[in-house]
Amino acid sequence: MTNQERKRVDPLPMKETKHGDTVLEARGITKRYPGVVANDHIDFEIKAGEIHAILGENGAGKTTLMKILFGLVQPDEGEIFVFGEKVNFKTPLDAIHLGIGMVHQDRKLIPAHSVLENIILGHPRAGNILDLKTTAEEITGLCDKYGFNLDLKAKVWQLSEGEKQVVEILKALYRGAKILILDEPTSALAPPEIQKLLASIKIMTGDDLALVPFITHKLPIVLTVSNRVTVLRRGKVTGRLQTKDATENSLAMEMVGREVVFRLERVEVDRGKPILQVENLSAINDKGFQALKDISFSVHEGEIFGIAGVSGNGQQVLAEVLAGLRKVLRGKVLLEGIDVTHSSSLDKWLKGMGYIPSERVNVGSISDYSLVDNVLMNYYFDDEFSRWGILDYKKIRKLTEEIISEYGVAVPGPDTAAKSLSGGNLQKVILARVFTRKPRLIIANLPTQGLDVGATEFVQNKLLEAKKEGAGILLISEDLDEVLSLSDRVAPIYEGEFMGIIPVDQASREDIGAMMAGLKHRVAGI
Amino acid sequence: MKLGSYEVKLEKKLKVAGWEAAAISILAILIALALVSFIFLQAKVNPLIGYKEIFSFAFTNKFGLPLTINRSIFILLCTCAFIVPMKAGLWNIGMAGQLYAGALGAFAVAFAVGAKESPNLTLSSGIVIPLMMVGAMLGGALIGAIPGFLKGSFNTNEIVVTMMLNSITFWLVAYMIKDGGPFMGGGGEGEGYKLPESIFAPQIFGGPFTVLIALGLAAFLYFTFTRSKIGYQIKTFGLSPTAARYAGISSFKIPLLVFIIGGLIAGLAGYHNFAAVPGVYKITQNYGNYGDLSFYGIICGLISQQNPLAAIPIALLFGGLTNGGRYVQGKLKLGFGIDYALLGVLMITLVFFQFFYRYKIVWKKIDKEV
Repeated sequence: MTNQERKRVDPLPMKETKHGDTVLEARGITKRYPGVVANDHIDFEIKAGEIHAILGENGAGKTTLMKILFGLVQPDEGEIFVFGEKVNFKTPLDAIHLGIGMVHQDRKLIPAHSVLENIILGHPRAGNILDLKTTAEEITGLCDKYGFNLDLKAKVWQLSEGEKQVVEILKALYRGAKILILDEPTSALAPPEIQKLLASIKIMTGDDLALVPFITHKLPIVLTVSNRVTVLRRGKVTGRLQTKDATENSLAMEMVGREVVFRLERVEVDRGKPILQVENLSAINDKGFQALKDISFSVHEGEIFGIAGVSGNGQQVLAEVLAGLRKVLRGKVLLEGIDVTHSSSLDKWLKGMGYIPSERVNVGSISDYSLVDNVLMNYYFDDEFSRWGILDYKKIRKLTEEIISEYGVAVPGPDTAAKSLSGGNLQKVILARVFTRKPRLIIANLPTQGLDVGATEFVQNKLLEAKKEGAGILLISEDLDEVLSLSDRVAPIYEGEFMGIIPVDQASREDIGAMMAGLKHRVAGI
Repeated sequence: MKLGSYEVKLEKKLKVAGWEAAAISILAILIALALVSFIFLQAKVNPLIGYKEIFSFAFTNKFGLPLTINRSIFILLCTCAFIVPMKAGLWNIGMAGQLYAGALGAFAVAFAVGAKESPNLTLSSGIVIPLMMVGAMLGGALIGAIPGFLKGSFNTNEIVVTMMLNSITFWLVAYMIKDGGPFMGGGGEGEGYKLPESIFAPQIFGGPFTVLIALGLAAFLYFTFTRSKIGYQIKTFGLSPTAARYAGISSFKIPLLVFIIGGLIAGLAGYHNFAAVPGVYKITQNYGNYGDLSFYGIICGLISQQNPLAAIPIALLFGGLTNGGRYVQGKLKLGFGIDYALLGVLMITLVFFQFFYRYKIVWKKIDKEV
């Protein structure tokens, strides 16, 4: 693109920036929502050529700040300066025109279109007639420059999560973004993909692009790539650090406000009799494809059996089949020796299964319900809580109050609606509700996904506690570190098949990572 | 939005208090009445006099009040028939068909005990009347079960199915009461046979005893949806079918159940209208009008936010306005359809004002930018 073309494209031509110039500055950003101050006088600046990570727990105000910087939300107070000029974003389009790009966590791409078509969608130069050849050349140029390896003709549905992310980044760059906001850039990626992304990010900053990744909990990533870190807690800036002066522990302290243990003490529990036995299990997903292919394994008393995999490889289907929410195609499932292959979900709850679903909001809770009614979801069917069909609300309220105090759920009271809870607090309620039933088998599907450091630590310790008490736990996770630190045995899953079942002390991080990407394990082990 | 030096913004409300909801509804009613005033003015009638006539006939006149009450019982039953499936997130648009089937059920029982042939029944009325009500409930429940079953097993759209069943049962009634059908009355006027006096529904305070059923049912449903296990399951399913499945609630049983109950209640509305309202006691020639009237149950159900107790005053208001509107049309020689216009405008304002259940308008003075 020549300079002249650029001028025609961008209503406000960007100034040439050089390394170290302040490109974006926010002063005193304040945003209030009913009952909460999401952003409380936040000051923050970013320079060209720097990676400035924003770190914070859920509910710390990261999302709000990000939306304000991208024009999705207007602040109540405060000023934003881009390239030294005061701006007032009304819509994201205003931000895009000034060279701010955003890569959302939930991809906003059209699956049936090719990579190229997605990138030029909405681009000012894509008028009525598309000049695919020139644009393709320009985009290939961008790819070469930043080390992205991408087939522009591929359809987006064929891409992995990491590749989709690259498409989003390219899209922003091609529109001329100088400041790139990344929302949880690594959350859905497999370990090898994360490495690739980080390498590209490094190259981008060399080109005087400014990057602002918003990250909840992957502290090691913050430490490897960023130059500076701003830490938010409860809407306020609690720390501004140079990354070279920070450690994982110091960052976590700033974020949570207290010391966080990173090494979980794995208790050795004698493995008891099998609680869950799965034989040659197959099932199909919503699209009608076979998503589970002849899976066999067992989970024993006092054991955490970890399933590691990148999302979409059948682990969701497996969890739903075991919880009685999806039909079995072939195979057999035994719960404490009893055949429950075709049992209903209710039947399984009554027989001692406890399911912690990955979709906290849509499956695990009801937003409009109070906490009392939400706790009731796993109890209404117990005789203890109803008589002659009338619910004993006194009892269930007492249980809810106990759960709130025991699990430290930060809410005004049991009548609070679930929709006003943060992700971490909601997960505590769901977890507590399941654990209090003392289930024999716990199916924990992505139990810490999207949780901050403090809540993650809490959930993981609760799982270990349940293990100590003799429950069998099936842990499904996309976080390799979590699987390795919690499980006794690990089964990497790829396209509906286990790539092996390995005792965790014989598993190396690299091997498991490779197996998650589809390589069969050299050592056969069951 | 900017208005002069003020900024007007909409803010989401987190919760609506009961009194607030009531105040909003009353304001909506007043505005509807103000709007309909223009129709009166256009007909050169003083709106105040028009409204005085409507309300005094509907609520104080000794001929008008019983009509209002009978009409309101009917609307309240239809409202309850709508609310039960709505609590499960399902739309019952089939109260018309269900109440026709209820009427057929009741008259089928009477027919079976020989009420068409002779006024002297061998069975006592203490047995026949309850049986007729059971017949009405079964008829309504049977028609209701169809959309419920189809929803539960094949996830069929319940709105389409209930609407189609309205048409089917409408013609089924026509077949039964017209042109030599088995339930045809003796007069040859295309209406059903008349019940013998011995099995007229008993009266209480000068009106049909079904008033107790309607009020009792509203209270019972209120209790069911606040305290009972089954009410909890229905509500949970209604708020989130996926979460309900997770909690072990059957996504087959709940749709089936709510439509059976809804149909059963609508069946009772059919019993009330054709076998309990004084002076009727037969399936009338214009039975289709009552099917149309049952659609007010949807409006009442939505306005009352699916609260069966709140539906009582709303059903009374609608019953009174349909009744008084029709009366004033004749009395003041207004154009045809003033009652429909009044109810139509009322519905629109009430639905529009529901907006204020969720949002509030905030005025803020804009600081002059320096």
